[in-house]
Amino acid sequence: MLPLPVLDPQPRRSRLSRREFFARSALCGSTLWLLWSLPRPLALKAARQSAERLVFSEAEWKLVEAISGRIIPTDEDPGAVEAGCVNFIDKALAYEEADLRRLYQAALRAIDGLAEARFGQPFVDQPTERQDEILLALESGDVPGWSSDRASPSEFFQIICAHTIIGFLADPSYGGNRDYAGWKLIGYPGPRHEFGGYTPKQMIGEEKIQTVWGTEID
Amino acid sequence: MARREDFDVCVIGTGAGGGVIADQLTAAGFRVVALQRGPHLRTGDFVDDDELKVIWRDELFSPDQLETWRPDESSPTETGQFNMTGHCVGGTMLHWSAWSWRFRPDEFRVLSEEGPVEGASLADWPIDYEEMEPYYERAEWDFGVSGDAGANPFGAPRRRGYPNPPHPDRSAGLQFKAGARKLGYHPFPTPIAANSQPHGGRPGCLYGGTCGGYGCPIGAKGTTFAVSLPKAQRTGLLDLRPNSLAFEIKIGRGGRARSVHYIDQSTREEQEVRARHVFVCGNAVGTPHLLLMSKSDSFPDGLANSSGLVGRNLMLHVFTAASFVFDKGSRVFTGLGSHAAIDDLHASDPSRGFIRGGVVGSDNFVVKQPILHALWRGSSYPGSDRDWGAGFKDYLRTFSRTASVLSVGEDLPMEANRVDPDPDVTDEWGLPVPRMTHRQHPNDVAMSSWHADRLLEIGDATGAVERWIALRVTDEEPRKGSSHLHGTCRMGDDPSRSVVDRWCRSHDIPNLWVADASVFPTSGGYNPTLTILANAYRVADYFVSEAKKGAL
Repeated sequence: MLPLPVLDPQPRRSRLSRREFFARSALCGSTLWLLWSLPRPLALKAARQSAERLVFSEAEWKLVEAISGRIIPTDEDPGAVEAGCVNFIDKALAYEEADLRRLYQAALRAIDGLAEARFGQPFVDQPTERQDEILLALESGDVPGWSSDRASPSEFFQIICAHTIIGFLADPSYGGNRDYAGWKLIGYPGPRHEFGGYTPKQMIGEEKIQTVWGTEID
Repeated sequence: MARREDFDVCVIGTGAGGGVIADQLTAAGFRVVALQRGPHLRTGDFVDDDELKVIWRDELFSPDQLETWRPDESSPTETGQFNMTGHCVGGTMLHWSAWSWRFRPDEFRVLSEEGPVEGASLADWPIDYEEMEPYYERAEWDFGVSGDAGANPFGAPRRRGYPNPPHPDRSAGLQFKAGARKLGYHPFPTPIAANSQPHGGRPGCLYGGTCGGYGCPIGAKGTTFAVSLPKAQRTGLLDLRPNSLAFEIKIGRGGRARSVHYIDQSTREEQEVRARHVFVCGNAVGTPHLLLMSKSDSFPDGLANSSGLVGRNLMLHVFTAASFVFDKGSRVFTGLGSHAAIDDLHASDPSRGFIRGGVVGSDNFVVKQPILHALWRGSSYPGSDRDWGAGFKDYLRTFSRTASVLSVGEDLPMEANRVDPDPDVTDEWGLPVPRMTHRQHPNDVAMSSWHADRLLEIGDATGAVERWIALRVTDEEPRKGSSHLHGTCRMGDDPSRSVVDRWCRSHDIPNLWVADASVFPTSGGYNPTLTILANAYRVADYFVSEAKKGAL
């Protein structure tokens, strides 16, 4: 579970950017917070039009892509890199999530600074074991020279984790989950209201299910 | 101030309580105005079941919700969205999971059954199951509950069966039932207020998988949005006003409620509507919040509050859940919130170290959707020690083989647990947001701990290859909110110990009524909505009969 913290104690006046995970669930009552607002229609539209960079520099894009690739790594199946999670995050930061841009920029600078200090090279040039070591330092809050007062290192790590995971599993129209990589991995066939639901035989596994990308799952 | 009109009745809130009141009173010929703070969505708005849009962005149901929470009066508050409520026409019921239970007879007399408990404000309801029984039946038939009457040997007695047969099984439910039987339990189909066949002019369910947390795109799910409000509108006697945020009830001559002031959120203007009776049905947070905001020289402590109990005894239920992973598909992303349940753990047994109990249902909507499943990992999945990396990816891979069990336990009322207007945090209109002060009773923690052990046993009996506790109530992880809100305007016969009488009419103000779960003196070990519906029918019947006698 991602214990995403409240970063700003003041309530927003317009659309809220805070969600408590379980307040959004049937269960409720967890202590966990998520601070962010998810991409609104502008970001959705931009994601549909293009996978071009809107916010990140080329170097930032590569760094975020590399971090996301350690959060959901590539193995015999695609991970966050192949799913285009960095594109999802770029579109979010381009529009309704724009207030997190400076946090991202400062955090990315600090992460590369940490990589340089420890290993003499930027994050993206490190082997994966060293990348994980840096992310563990970030997660535990151990980042010298952290300049953002908006969020602590561990809070930023929780945010980029949530962004990556949601980019991996949200509808591909938001810019991530490219080629349904996330849904293929977990065996989710896609939303069903528009396709008329499921038959009783499908509900007990006696009939295959057609996925939104066209293949069938048992 | 623009409109100022006179109605027989003003209903505030159109969910399970207010929707039924609006239906029943218009059917009896009364002119009703219904205020709902959010928009009036259309059934077509629910076709798009995109998880990001509906669950995470909350674009549909209550994007303007804001509230605060603290564990006790000496702690600072946190600000956010803690309760799962709905602000649009149809209220929270619009996205309910539709588990539909009758309370057991003992759940109406908890104080008599258990005796006083330290730190808790137990009470008997002023009504009993026998009085509620015909109204449960009416609610089940109007809202199309599908179930197998008599299949739950621990359930309340009934005179008539369900209107619809049970829903078909799902793999996860079959696994649950087989495991439960091995343990000597008595599994049965979860009664769900969604049609398993065409009923009441509404179609049967399509089992698309996005039910709880979502609106129903075909009206198969029983809601006041699909059932009560269209019927009320057809009478021509309902003036349904969406985007109308009630913020004060004004008292007129004779100490009677005279009018309701609200913000029309579409024009951003303040409005006043006059009515001879006011029904407050804004749920157990919204209702006391409105009553306590309605202060005046005559009522410096808020309306209907001579007992001092408005807002007190907030109850959130004790939720305990385990997650299971099978070696084959669970199909949990299909179908309804739950397809099977047991009630064997319900009866109170103090030898367990706690009193009261609750029902156990297979599955819940948190494991049915990809992002919810991913973010509900709870750091407790046995295969990973981190929320990211290779082990976490393996957890993601379990999605299609995952199932869950959830127990809904009765929590004990405590007067310190309360809702009041927050003096420090305001919403975009400058109104104080609702503030919850809530801490669990030791009985709640003991119940959750015991239930957690039983749920893990069920996991073992189903043959799950992995199982773990995903949610429990502990002192370290307090509940900050719920989808089940009750207790903040309790009903009772003694005006010094309750807010409304047995007819849910204010002891203090004779034309002010409350018809939601605020009036529950205790929370019961079941999802509350069918009881809200049944009680609203009961109150409406009384209102109509008294009005005919000229007694109102």
